[in-house]
Amino acid sequence: MQLRWLALALGLSLPLVFQATSRAETIPSIDQRFDENCTEVPDFQRHLLPMMSKIGCNGRSCHGSFQGRGGFQLSLFGYDFNMDHKGLTERIDTEDPLESYALHKATNIEEHEGGERIVKDSWQYHVFLKWIESGAAGAEKPHKLTRLEVTPSEIVFKKSGQSESVNVVAVWEDGTREDVTPLCRFQSNDTSIAEVDENGKITAASVGDSHVVVFYDNGIYAIPVIQPVSDQVGEKYPQVATPTRVDELVVEKLRKLGVVQSDVCTDEEFLRRVSLDISGTLPTPEQVLAFVKDTNPDKRSAKIDELLETPAYSAWWATRLNDMTGNTVNQLNNVSYDNNKVAQEWFEWVRLRVERNVPYDKIVEGIVLASSQKEDETYEEYSARMSESFLDKSCQTFAEQDSLPYFWARRNFQNDEDRAIGFAYTFLGIRIQCAQCHKHPFDQWTQEDFVQFQPVFNRTRYSQNGTNREEYQKLLASIDVDDTLRGNQLRRELAKELKKGKTVPFPVLVDTAPRRNNRRNAKANEQTARMLGGEPFNLNEFDNPREPLMEWLRTDVQDLFARAFVNRVWSNYFHRGIVEPTDDLSKANPPSNAALLDHLTQGFIASGFDMKWLHREICNSRTYQLSWQPNDTNIHDERNFGRAVPRRIHAEVALDAIAQATSASDKNASYQTQLDGRAIAIPGSAQGRGGNNYALTIFGKSARENNCDCERSTEPTLLQTLYLNNDNELLSSIESRRGWLDELAREWKVAAPSKGNADRPKNYEEVIARYEKYLEKVKKQGDAKKIKEVKNRLQAYREKYGDPDGDSNASQTAEVDAVDYEEAVQTAYLRTLSRLPSESELATGTEAVRSAETPVVGMRDLLWALLNTKEFIVNH
Amino acid sequence: MALHRTCDGARRRDFLKVGALGLSGLSLGNYLNLTQAGEIRSGAKAKSAIFINLPGGPTHMDTFDMKPDAPSEYRGEFNPIDTNVSGIQICEHLPNLAKVMDKFVILRGVSHTLAAHRLGSEYINTGNRPLPALEFPGYGAVVSKELPTRPELPPFVSIPNTAQRPGYLGVQYAPLHTGATPRAGQKFSVRGLELRNGLTISDVERRTNLRRDLDQTFLQFEKNNDLLRGLDRFSQQAYDMITSPQARDAFDVSQESPEFAKMFGESPFGQSCLLATRLIDNGVRFVSISTGGWDTHRDNWNNLKTRLLPPFDESLAALFAGLEQKGLLEETVVLVSGEFGRTPKINNERVGRDHYPRAMFMLMAGGGISGGRVIGASDEKAMGPLNEAITPDDVAASFYHALGIDHQKEYHTSTGRPVMIVRDGHVLPELFS
Repeated sequence: MQLRWLALALGLSLPLVFQATSRAETIPSIDQRFDENCTEVPDFQRHLLPMMSKIGCNGRSCHGSFQGRGGFQLSLFGYDFNMDHKGLTERIDTEDPLESYALHKATNIEEHEGGERIVKDSWQYHVFLKWIESGAAGAEKPHKLTRLEVTPSEIVFKKSGQSESVNVVAVWEDGTREDVTPLCRFQSNDTSIAEVDENGKITAASVGDSHVVVFYDNGIYAIPVIQPVSDQVGEKYPQVATPTRVDELVVEKLRKLGVVQSDVCTDEEFLRRVSLDISGTLPTPEQVLAFVKDTNPDKRSAKIDELLETPAYSAWWATRLNDMTGNTVNQLNNVSYDNNKVAQEWFEWVRLRVERNVPYDKIVEGIVLASSQKEDETYEEYSARMSESFLDKSCQTFAEQDSLPYFWARRNFQNDEDRAIGFAYTFLGIRIQCAQCHKHPFDQWTQEDFVQFQPVFNRTRYSQNGTNREEYQKLLASIDVDDTLRGNQLRRELAKELKKGKTVPFPVLVDTAPRRNNRRNAKANEQTARMLGGEPFNLNEFDNPREPLMEWLRTDVQDLFARAFVNRVWSNYFHRGIVEPTDDLSKANPPSNAALLDHLTQGFIASGFDMKWLHREICNSRTYQLSWQPNDTNIHDERNFGRAVPRRIHAEVALDAIAQATSASDKNASYQTQLDGRAIAIPGSAQGRGGNNYALTIFGKSARENNCDCERSTEPTLLQTLYLNNDNELLSSIESRRGWLDELAREWKVAAPSKGNADRPKNYEEVIARYEKYLEKVKKQGDAKKIKEVKNRLQAYREKYGDPDGDSNASQTAEVDAVDYEEAVQTAYLRTLSRLPSESELATGTEAVRSAETPVVGMRDLLWALLNTKEFIVNH
Repeated sequence: MALHRTCDGARRRDFLKVGALGLSGLSLGNYLNLTQAGEIRSGAKAKSAIFINLPGGPTHMDTFDMKPDAPSEYRGEFNPIDTNVSGIQICEHLPNLAKVMDKFVILRGVSHTLAAHRLGSEYINTGNRPLPALEFPGYGAVVSKELPTRPELPPFVSIPNTAQRPGYLGVQYAPLHTGATPRAGQKFSVRGLELRNGLTISDVERRTNLRRDLDQTFLQFEKNNDLLRGLDRFSQQAYDMITSPQARDAFDVSQESPEFAKMFGESPFGQSCLLATRLIDNGVRFVSISTGGWDTHRDNWNNLKTRLLPPFDESLAALFAGLEQKGLLEETVVLVSGEFGRTPKINNERVGRDHYPRAMFMLMAGGGISGGRVIGASDEKAMGPLNEAITPDDVAASFYHALGIDHQKEYHTSTGRPVMIVRDGHVLPELFS
């Protein structure tokens, strides 16, 4: 042990050691204190439980199992002091400590399935024995751990095989300081970078960076461990441009690692990347050409500003916010009279706010503190308002109202536990579900924290029958429906009345009053609750229990609240979050660059939660604008943003990109401004268990069911490739009668590719004639709606099999040599890969067109080939 | 690559190491105990599976769990008939199935409490009672994860679609939806595989060559990037599937001999069964068929005898016979189920029966399950299980058991929560005796 002190004294963090000794005396470590002659009484919480935890007693495969082992159960990962104390004291003998059953088991004198966990006469043995001898006190009043002081606080290795030991001091609320190194559990977050043994000795395994995490009591500390990948560190690091604060902070970390950033990407690459990232939309060929030609030195920054003003931006980010808040049709039963309508209102409400750049905290407030009924509104007036806005197909009436109550109406957000988990996931990016059943193994949360957080959600419910039963009945009685109907049958009848313009009762979000004692005018009962990490308070002092919740987001956990969002936004612009997974902001899962995340978080708060500030801060950085082409130093590093890492484009974005790339020119130009039919503007999840959009499903659009950011997937799969290769949807998109290829065919005066001719029914002409005859007939009847319907059907049939304008006589023998295929090939590149082809690509492409059966067939093949390149489906 | 840590403290990499031993995270002692208790059987017979879903919830009392002696307000108008197994009777409108009763098992008194279509459907399609905040993977997703298949075929095909989703297992286990059912005697093509719009193999080859010529941007860099390498691998696999006749032929029921195809009938369900047989024969691991219309609140008997039962009877009997003829029945486990049964008491006003999860039937066949038996029973009015209920979880555990998949194996959801494949079920030992 002396050696360790020596090692420490010589170690890297001398200042911290001195700092430590200058304060209260630190109790030396337990392995030096306990032997036969020791008179100290070990503490249940501070010594015994951490020791048992360290030797594995309360692990999941041992007594921490929910079934126990050998009839003995301990709380998983500790922290249920009463249960653990009770279980242990049943197995010891304070009269005759040496004959204690638990001691015999642990030393394997009594046969123990877990083998010998404690060696006789070891310090562990004496701790256990002394505890029993001293009367085996529990932890009636638990101590509160203030912090863990870990030295060194960061480790930089020079080469693999080097080792360094850490020392951990626990600082308790009463000022007690104790060296707890032998009682800590240690874990490496990436064993390929560094290994750690049970004594806290860390050994470098390979170059790169990760963390070693220290666990003691409910304290968690992550030590950064770095081994530079090159000798270009510190002063040897090359001069690099760091035009923004983001770049400075990224490079500060890279300088330690010896990673040099790649060069800045080309204008074409930048434009494609930033358009896909900000607006979920490909740039048009015209935009690409204009951007490349533009000589304004600030053109990138100007482009970012421009994109943030597009309707596509508001749709795409509304989609991302809808992912987080869980807008999915399946979970919205009985909220209104049409689930799809609810999802659409939800989407529009968020979209409108993104468009107006309402601060993020204000948007959240509109959700967390939502109310259905306005303050001065009766239930009947509320129902009348909702009945009217139900008929508004655009959903703008709904979107303009202050509140979005539907978050609270989700079927998977009804009981207190699901709400506690869902709320923490959505707004704080943390996973507290582990603490539902046991101490969180990777975060500070205990089961008690979870249990005391739950009541906050208890009084809020979505009521089918209004705020007041009588008002509801009165309203119902005023409508002409069979009053014996119940449930779904009633709802169906009411839905019919609603569509006729009647006012029908609407469900409302209500906060029930706190329970009171029986006596009149009695004060409400106390309901103690505690926000995560907060102090207990009486929830019943609040008429609206959601007020302290929102207040908490704005104050105590404001940093985490902002951080969770910042990290998720960052992950939209890179291949990963600064913390990854993005919804696991736990202490044991630290950011790859803490200073960077801090800067963005503080900046975001200081900006007043201005989302556009955040987008600009990220996109204007050089780091965001790096090339994907690696150099020797950054080729293996994907944690520290030394280059752009290619990522598959998101499901909605991919389908829109396919549609846009193959569409006619006027349509192609409208994608950033027109949201009709765009996948990025689909409310709800669009892949419900009922409805199904095959392509969106296989490309991994979020199902929004499980409180996990991982529900949105950008992993490649075989079905995706089959879709791009050969799915009829994709092929039809290329060959659509309203598509670009058809436009080219007309321009070149050649036949469009033979879409219809093979599939065209033999009686095509007959059917057309029949339709036309029928159209004449309805025209005579003068029913405008019917006429329109028949016209549409005729048009659809023609589009499917024939020519929309009857122009089927284009000649294949026209002078095709005169046509400039090169221009078409270039446009194909611009439409798909958002760049001009290289000379050899242009030659290959043009040759393919020229040598094909017909030039349009050649263009079809080229378009297909480009849509199937990796370059198309990844953002790079 | 960052390690995913799991809720119970195991890091995923550790977990995989244990999994690689084939013990699925059980300790060895634990495993041996279970083996002795007959819970885990190494010699599972089934290699593939067919799940037939009957959305809407077919009535048990008018099909496989008849109560001819029940009072008239329960009984219904159909009569039971004998089957080729003495002592077992089923509905008179199932004459073909009666002739092959020895091939399958009827589970009676299957029982749960979820009377809504979607919840019930999630339950029987996953074998886990739905939780609002966790989506369980459907059977097909689990089977395609557990039992690898030939690369040139999709492991999980649904005809025409399915309520089974990959859930927490992730998109790579999503099914290929055929989107349509085959039509008798006609060439059947499936999305993504069939050459449409007049395309020929040489067109595909020409295009693919062109793509290869042009797809050079990331050249040299692919080997260092999982995404790019993955995309390349899938491209090759997709190309093989599209250009080799194998995959396409697997879907093309028109290639079956006319007399074989004939027994399945011409109904969409019959053609689905024919396709399922063919896919299994070609090596697809899991096929689900969905054939709806069973929500007979109104006009129950008329609907059953005219519209629902005849094609169901004809085709399911043909499926059992067809699998047997091809020598596939022994290695293919078949499960047939709706989301619930229907009220034993007749809704006279609408001449129908309503949702009723407390008593329902399921059918199982193949995969080492010897047929010709009834397992479980409902009470005299088919109101609930007679003795101990069979739960959908038990059926799921048994279904996986037939495939040699340990239903207690634990996965970790992406938030790190450990979840067993089937959380509450027990293998029904009678099925395998």
